[in-house]
Amino acid sequence: MSRHLPSICAGLVLLLMWQLAHLSFGLSGLPGPMAAFAALPELISDADALYDIGQSLQRMAAGYLLAAAFGISFGLLMGTSPLAERLLNPLIMMIYPIPKAALMPILMIWLGIGDMSKILVIFLGSSLPIIYHSWQGGRSVSQIVVWSAAAMGMNRAQRLFRIVLPAALPEIFIGLRTGLILALITMVVSEIVARSNGIGNLLFNSMDMALYDRMFAAIIIIAAMGYALDLIFEAIRRRFLRWSDQQDQIQVAVG
Amino acid sequence: MIAIEHLSKRFKTAAGKDHLALSDINLELQSGEFVSIIGPSGCGKSTLLYMIGGFVPASDGKILIDGRPVTGPGPDRGPVFQEFALFAWKTVLQNIAYGLRLQGKSKPEAEERARVLLRMVGLERFANFYPKELSGGMKQRVAIARTLAYNPEILLMDEPFGALDAHTRTHLQRDLLRIWEEHRKTVLFVTHSVEEAVYLSDRVIVMAAGPGRIARIIPIELERPRQRSELMFDRRYQEYITEIEGMIDAFEAAAA
Amino acid sequence: MSRDSKLLGLLPIAGLILLWGWLAASGMAPKALLPSPVAVAQRLVELLGQGDFWAHIATTLFRLVTGFLIALVAGTALAILSASSEVTQTAVNAFVRILAPLPKIALYPAMILILGFGHSSKIALVAIEAAFPIYLATYQGMRNVDQKLIWAARSAGASRLHCLLFVMLPAAAPSILTGARVALVISCIVVFLSEMMSSTEGLGYVLIDAARNFRTIDMFVPIILISALGLGLGAGLSALRKRLLTGYPQA
Ligand SMILES: Nc1ncnc2c1ncn2[C@@H]1O[C@H](COP(=O)(O)OP(=O)(O)OP(=O)(O)O)[C@@H](O)[C@H]1O
Ligand SMILES: [Mg+2]
Repeated sequence: MSRHLPSICAGLVLLLMWQLAHLSFGLSGLPGPMAAFAALPELISDADALYDIGQSLQRMAAGYLLAAAFGISFGLLMGTSPLAERLLNPLIMMIYPIPKAALMPILMIWLGIGDMSKILVIFLGSSLPIIYHSWQGGRSVSQIVVWSAAAMGMNRAQRLFRIVLPAALPEIFIGLRTGLILALITMVVSEIVARSNGIGNLLFNSMDMALYDRMFAAIIIIAAMGYALDLIFEAIRRRFLRWSDQQDQIQVAVG
Repeated sequence: MIAIEHLSKRFKTAAGKDHLALSDINLELQSGEFVSIIGPSGCGKSTLLYMIGGFVPASDGKILIDGRPVTGPGPDRGPVFQEFALFAWKTVLQNIAYGLRLQGKSKPEAEERARVLLRMVGLERFANFYPKELSGGMKQRVAIARTLAYNPEILLMDEPFGALDAHTRTHLQRDLLRIWEEHRKTVLFVTHSVEEAVYLSDRVIVMAAGPGRIARIIPIELERPRQRSELMFDRRYQEYITEIEGMIDAFEAAAA
Repeated sequence: MSRDSKLLGLLPIAGLILLWGWLAASGMAPKALLPSPVAVAQRLVELLGQGDFWAHIATTLFRLVTGFLIALVAGTALAILSASSEVTQTAVNAFVRILAPLPKIALYPAMILILGFGHSSKIALVAIEAAFPIYLATYQGMRNVDQKLIWAARSAGASRLHCLLFVMLPAAAPSILTGARVALVISCIVVFLSEMMSSTEGLGYVLIDAARNFRTIDMFVPIILISALGLGLGAGLSALRKRLLTGYPQA
C-alpha cells in the first residue's frame, strides 16, 4: 500500500489539474472529470459498444500473440546468426519507423475491412519492437556461456532454448511490453482510420459530434485498458524474471 | 593528523535487520605516516576508508582531521579506488586537470600543473588519450595523478593495485613510494597483500571480521628509503611477513 | 561494418521490391490495388517536383523535430530533477508510473480540444510520447553511474549540482542517446498517425487524402517518405552519437 501511495497521490494531482483546466476553460469546452466519469455508465451499459470493444480486444490478442511468436523466433535468429543479422538489419531499420497503422487504408483495399486486415495491422505494429529487442537480447548473450553449453554437449537447438532464450528473456520482455502498447495503439488508430466499430471509433465519433463527455469517457476506458494490460503483463513478467536484477525497473511504455 | 574514536558502522540489510560492519574502531594517524590496512574480505576496510573520506556517514563515534570532524568529502582527502573511476569522457590531461579547474585555476595553469603530474607518473606521451585507450596500470597512474593534482594532505587508497598484474604492481609500488618520499603525505592504504603492506608502510593494521575491528597494529621498523630488491634479502622483512600472515591465519581460524 | 556486409543487407530489400514488382506485373492484383514499384517511384519523383508536396514534408518534419526536441529537453530535465534528491525522485516517478502505461494517443482528442487542430496538438502528442523513453533511459543511466566516480569528483571539490550536471549527466550520455534513438522512431510513428487522424497538411494527411479518393499509388509515397525521414534522422543521430561519445567505451 505505502509503495503505491505516491502514485495514488500523483493520480489525484492529475485529476485535480484536469478539474482546474476544466474550470479555466469554461463550461462549453473541456468537460471536468466528474462529467466524464458520469458519462461512463451509459457507455459501458451499451451492449453493442461492449460487444465492439470485446471484438477489438480479441483481434488485438490474435495479432499480438502471432507477433510474439514470430517476433521472438525471428529476433533470436538474428541475434544468434551473424549472417541473418547482416541480411536483415537494414530491412528492420527501414520498416521500424513506418507507422503500421498507416498501412490500414492500403490493407483495407486489399483485404476488406474485416478482421483479417485489422489483425494483420496489429501483428505488423507489434512485431517490430519484439523482433528488435529479441535480436538485441540474443546478441548480448555471452559467447562464453554458449560455448560452455556446447562443451557440455548441448546441440544447437538445445543451446537456443535452454541457454539463449532464458538469458535473453529480460530484453525480450522489454520488446513484448513495447509491442503490447503498440498493439493497443495500433488497434485504436486502425479503428479510427477505418471508421469501423470499436473503441477508437467511439472516441473520434464522440469528438466529431461534440459529445465531449462521452469522448472523455472513451479516453478513460482506453486508459483503463492500458492499465489492465500493464498489470497483467507485469504479473507475468515478474513470474518469469524472478532471477533477474531487472525486476523492479519501470518499463518504457513506448509508442 | 587523523583521529578516529569509537567509530562504528551499522548497515540496514534488505530484510530490515541491523548488520554491524565495524565496531569500536580507535586509531590515530600522524601526518606524513604511511599506514596499511589488511584483513579478511568483508571485515570493513573499504567502509572505514569511505567514512574517513566522508562518502558514507558513521553510525557512532567520531573522525577528526586536524581536530575538525568529518562531515563530507573534501579536497584535503583524496581517494584512489581499485576500479580507477576515471571520467571516460575526458582525456587523460583533462582528468588530471579536473580538480584544479574546480579550485578555480585557469585552464592553462591547470594544464601546466597536470603535465607536471603526468611526467611524475610517466605518461607524458598519453596526455590526449582517452581512458579506454589505456592499459589497467596506466589508468591507475592517471587516477593517482588526478588525486595528487589537487594536493590533498591525505591519500585514501582502496586496493589501488588490486586489479593489476604482478609486474605493473611492483612498478607502481615503487613509484608510489618515490612520490611519497618526495611529498610525505599521510597515506591510508588498503591491501590484501601482506608483502605490499610491509614493503610500503610505517605501520600495518590487521583487522578481523565479524564484527569488523582492529585486531593488531604492527609498526614496521625498516629503514627508508626502501629498495624492494634489498628487502628481499632482509630477514626482518621476511619475519614481518611471516608474523602477519600467521596472525591473519590465526584470526581466521578463531572466527571459523 | 564492411562494404560487403552492407551490400548483403540490401539483398532482402531488393528481393522485396522485386517480389512486389513481379506481383504487380503478373496481373494477379489489379493495378488499382497494387501499383508497380516503378510507377510508385515515378510518382514519388513527380510529387517531389511540386512545391506544395514539399510543404507537406516540411510540415511533418517540423512537427516531428520540434516534438522530439521538446521531449529531449523535458525528459532529460526531469531525469536530472529526479536524480537530484530522494523526494524529487519519488515525486517524479509517481507521475511516471501513472502516465507511462497510458496510451497517450487516446489523449489526442483532448489535446485537439485544448490546443486546436494546428501544429501544437501534434507537437504536444509527439513530445509526450517521446519524453517517456528519454526520461527513463536518462534516469536509469544516471542511477547506474558508478558511485566512485561521484565520490572522486566530490573529493576534488565538486558541489552536488556540479556532480549532477558534469559527472552524472555525461556518464549517462550513452543511455540518453539510446533513449533518444527509441524516441525518434516513436516520434516518426506518432507524428504520422496524428496527421492521419486529424490534419489538413503533412504526410499523414497526404495518405488519408489519397485513401479517401482511392488513389492507391499516392498512398505508397508518404509511407516511403516517412521511412526515409526515420532512416535519415536516425543516421544523423548515429553520427552525433559517434561525435559525442568519443572516449566512451563501446561507443
Ligand atoms: N551498502 C552496504 N549495505 C549493506 N551492507 C554493506 C554495504 N557496504 C558494505 N556492507 C557490509 O559491510 C561489511 C564490510 O564491507 P567492506 O566492503 O567494507 O569490506 P572490505 O573489508 O572492504 O572487503 P573486501 O576486502 O572484499 O573489499 C560487509 O559485511 C558488507 O556486507
Ligand atoms: Mg573493499
